[in-house]
Amino acid sequence: MSTDLETPIPTKFDVSDFDPQARRARSIRRILLGVVALVAVIGLPWWVYPPIAVDIAAWALFAISVDLLLGFVGLLSFGHAAFWGVSAYSAGLIAQNLGVPFPVAIIGGAIAAMIIAVPIGYLAVKRAGIYFAMVTLAFAQMIWFVANQWNDVTGGENGLQGVPKSFFGIELIETEAFYFYYVAVILIVLGAWLAWRIVNSPFGRVLVAIRDNPSRTRALGYDVERYKLIAFVLSAGIAGIAGGVFAISHGFVSLQELDWSTSGKVVLMTVLGGMGTLWGGPIGAAVIVLLEDRLATSGFDGIGIITGSIFILCVLLFRRGIWGTAKNLIDKATAAFAKRKG
Amino acid sequence: MEAFLQYTVQGLAAGGFYALAALGLAVIFGALGVVNFAHGSFYMLGAVTAAVLLDVLDIHFWASLVIVPILMFIFGVIVELLLVQWLLKLDILYNFLLTFGLSLVLVDLVKRQYGVSGLPYEQPAGLDGLIRLGSVEIPAYQLFVFLFSLAVCLIVWLVLAKTRVGMIVRAATEEPERARALGINVSAWVTPVFGFGVALAGLAGVLAAPFRAVTATMGSNFVIILFAIVVIGGLGSVLGAVVAGFLVGLVEAYGQGYAGTFSQVLIFVLMAVVIMVRPAGLFGRKEAV
Amino acid sequence: MASTRRGLLGVTGFAASALLLAGCAGGPAPAAESELSDDKVVIGLLNDQSGVYKDLSGPNSEVAIEMAIEDYFAEYGDEAVVTEEQLEIVTADTQNKPDVANTQAQQMYDRSNADIILDVPASSAALAVAEVAAQKKKLYINVGAATMELTGAACNPYTFHWAYNTQMLAKGAAGVVEDGGETWSLVYPDYAFGQDMVKSFTGAVEDAGGTINESIATPFPNDNFSTFITRAASTNPDVVGIMAAGGDLINFVKQFNQSGVRDQATLAVGLMFITDIHSLGVEEFAGTTFTDAWYWNYDEQNREFADRFQKLTDTRPSFAHAANYSAAYQYLDAIQRAGTDDADAIVSELEGLKVNDVFLRNGEIRAGDHSVIHDSYVAKVKAADDVEEDWDYEEIIATIPAEDAFPDVNPDCSL
Repeated sequence: MSTDLETPIPTKFDVSDFDPQARRARSIRRILLGVVALVAVIGLPWWVYPPIAVDIAAWALFAISVDLLLGFVGLLSFGHAAFWGVSAYSAGLIAQNLGVPFPVAIIGGAIAAMIIAVPIGYLAVKRAGIYFAMVTLAFAQMIWFVANQWNDVTGGENGLQGVPKSFFGIELIETEAFYFYYVAVILIVLGAWLAWRIVNSPFGRVLVAIRDNPSRTRALGYDVERYKLIAFVLSAGIAGIAGGVFAISHGFVSLQELDWSTSGKVVLMTVLGGMGTLWGGPIGAAVIVLLEDRLATSGFDGIGIITGSIFILCVLLFRRGIWGTAKNLIDKATAAFAKRKG
Repeated sequence: MEAFLQYTVQGLAAGGFYALAALGLAVIFGALGVVNFAHGSFYMLGAVTAAVLLDVLDIHFWASLVIVPILMFIFGVIVELLLVQWLLKLDILYNFLLTFGLSLVLVDLVKRQYGVSGLPYEQPAGLDGLIRLGSVEIPAYQLFVFLFSLAVCLIVWLVLAKTRVGMIVRAATEEPERARALGINVSAWVTPVFGFGVALAGLAGVLAAPFRAVTATMGSNFVIILFAIVVIGGLGSVLGAVVAGFLVGLVEAYGQGYAGTFSQVLIFVLMAVVIMVRPAGLFGRKEAV
Repeated sequence: MASTRRGLLGVTGFAASALLLAGCAGGPAPAAESELSDDKVVIGLLNDQSGVYKDLSGPNSEVAIEMAIEDYFAEYGDEAVVTEEQLEIVTADTQNKPDVANTQAQQMYDRSNADIILDVPASSAALAVAEVAAQKKKLYINVGAATMELTGAACNPYTFHWAYNTQMLAKGAAGVVEDGGETWSLVYPDYAFGQDMVKSFTGAVEDAGGTINESIATPFPNDNFSTFITRAASTNPDVVGIMAAGGDLINFVKQFNQSGVRDQATLAVGLMFITDIHSLGVEEFAGTTFTDAWYWNYDEQNREFADRFQKLTDTRPSFAHAANYSAAYQYLDAIQRAGTDDADAIVSELEGLKVNDVFLRNGEIRAGDHSVIHDSYVAKVKAADDVEEDWDYEEIIATIPAEDAFPDVNPDCSL
């Protein structure tokens, strides 16, 4: 069965590499998007309640990490909560016990997530497609069981409470979510940039080739499984940065971070925003986080009915997601614009 | 030794139930190439429907055993026609995601309608008390579940392996082009087979009602165990699902008897071992995707 | 939507709190001209309105708080410090997720100007909200969670634990031992709550002169208990104690009843709510003993409250509903006495208060750890034939006096 994620990504060669008009259109697009992204990142806590802004940023990066696998390697991880959660616990423990500035704790958490991703990835990438999704789900569940049992480390069901936000003793950042956001978002942007670099590198091209035609790529002499495993571990690290930020911002870590519903939620965000674009995840994350926040105080007790329905509609009618659809329109518009200029 | 026998009997009883619950998942994958994430929700709906029938219409267990699967079959057909069929031609992941979304909706609809504390269900008439098998005792109801599940699994396997209907279904799924060339109307079979898989999930739900909590979320963690079972058995292999179901039942029982807390983790450990040794599962033929 | 003035918060926030502090420094004001921050009293109800604790507390706790407000005005009439226009209730759903609870609590204090947050079931969510309350220096009365941590290492000056905790749940075991249940097997889910419960139960049973044959750990969550039940029965105990809660408890009880062990041993449940009995049906639980914090049909006063509650909700109140009523009423009463809703003033009003209301019998709000102690009960589930009306499931076989029902002040707690 061939994959047909409906967002074509340039593989080996793209005609636009040689067409100056198309190249110009692409650079216009990039600059435009960069500006929009920058405004969004800087303005977010002015428009939404700052703790929610941090949540959006964390979930956005988490969705990017899922998209890195789903959109660019064709692997649906349904157990990504394992890396988000392992990093959250590790970052929380580091912050609690070592008293280091919180970005250091978050990086430590991301490293822990990558370490745990090696054995899971090794077993999971043996299988493609749907098997991969089910195997990652099962392993994430296994980690959940272990964390629940291992009270001394994780605090079990009480969670890991009282995680400090130490930052060189700067009071405002440690107590005010508004200021905390601006420090935390630097890590998030770093993670997003890393994902973008991976996708736009020769390594990323190979990943896309694996997605589109694994046997041909193998025939060309690439060690497909190794590439997949490296991508998996990198994705886990990026998810880890997101999980660490989330844990530090809330000041505690709970088993919810490892729960399979967390894995489901991030896949939902990725698909809703648009797979295979990297830009989609953050949009999906913003929509879902804001929606859940609104529903929490609305007195409506069936959040799953709404998110589930959105998901079904999205998969049935709207497979490009929000960003995929918008991108199509922008592509057309900028191409026309570049033509006029040219 | 006494204890070991007791655990073995309990493991087999639980295994029969797991096999039946995983069977529908395997049938649906075999015939449609759909990994049905909503299988746990269909199982839950079967149990809840039985509880509601009992409460509202005073329909008891034995009648539910027949009525609920029929209702669930109809429901499955509706789901297939409305939702699943549109994505059959696309990547397998889309239906996985679709059924995930569906499970969120079903769970919360039931929550809103029937609350979260669960619904009462009676013990089926004629199946109370214990039965002695040599030196071990087993609740009569669990013995019944075991025998009943075994019988259903056997019938389904025979139908698929030995009859014309089964041949058509297999031909339609494994070689749709050739089947079409031979004049078999492939798409006509897809919908009822999906409905049948959903009916099996509902049947497992009815069986669960007397000895499991009937709540909106009863299928949420259960479906992950079922995934582990079909991965161990080999996706789409009916025989694999049945054998793996029993295997998991036994692993769970011995785990509970000798390893206590870690019995649940053992299931996933078993899965990891199987993947390392036989990536396609015990009875899987080739790369399923 | 948040206002764009947020950026100034650092400055205005300090200024506002400085003003407030200055305002309160004048001592308690006379009742007629009260000192209410932002001229309002906002009670925040933060609980599980869609998950497993929905029936136990959930949206109906808002009704209980409204009843408390009604009673407050009935009591003080024109003398009331707070007018009806000044009182507001805000609610939010934790979805039983601690991170949601944490964010919603911050929003309640910051954006809805909640002066107090009530309820918050589930330990991890309860503890997370306690941290928020301590940071924001705002009141928080927990009703729904059982964890000892709230009045232990995680205690803080603004948090009160109102209804029950894991050690109190074990106290009923003594009553069971005196009733002839000498030997016990305990089955417990192997995670924090289960482990706490086993410790407490072992202590309570042994103190009463009973013995624990064995304690069996189970995974959590777990659907299939048959092997564990076999193991628990193998030592022929008088009592099998099960420490699971919610769906797992129901799984266990159904399988326990099928296993035939029920004929040789009675069942004691660590944590059970009346809503569990209601959902599974009284015959499944008949004869089971457990510790209850409050029962609606215990006496005339409770029954009167339950009748009022039923008129409004079509259901009988659980202990959590009564406890939320009590917490809201005592809070308003404290505002009345203090003449202000300033958190520190209210805390000093509440600390050490000895009080009796529909929920708190011989109640005392302990100054040492903010654990609110009160008489508790050993309840036995009635046989199906003895149930005279819906929800009339419990027979109270013993009352545990407040000071025996709750453990001593935890030395880990420093306020």
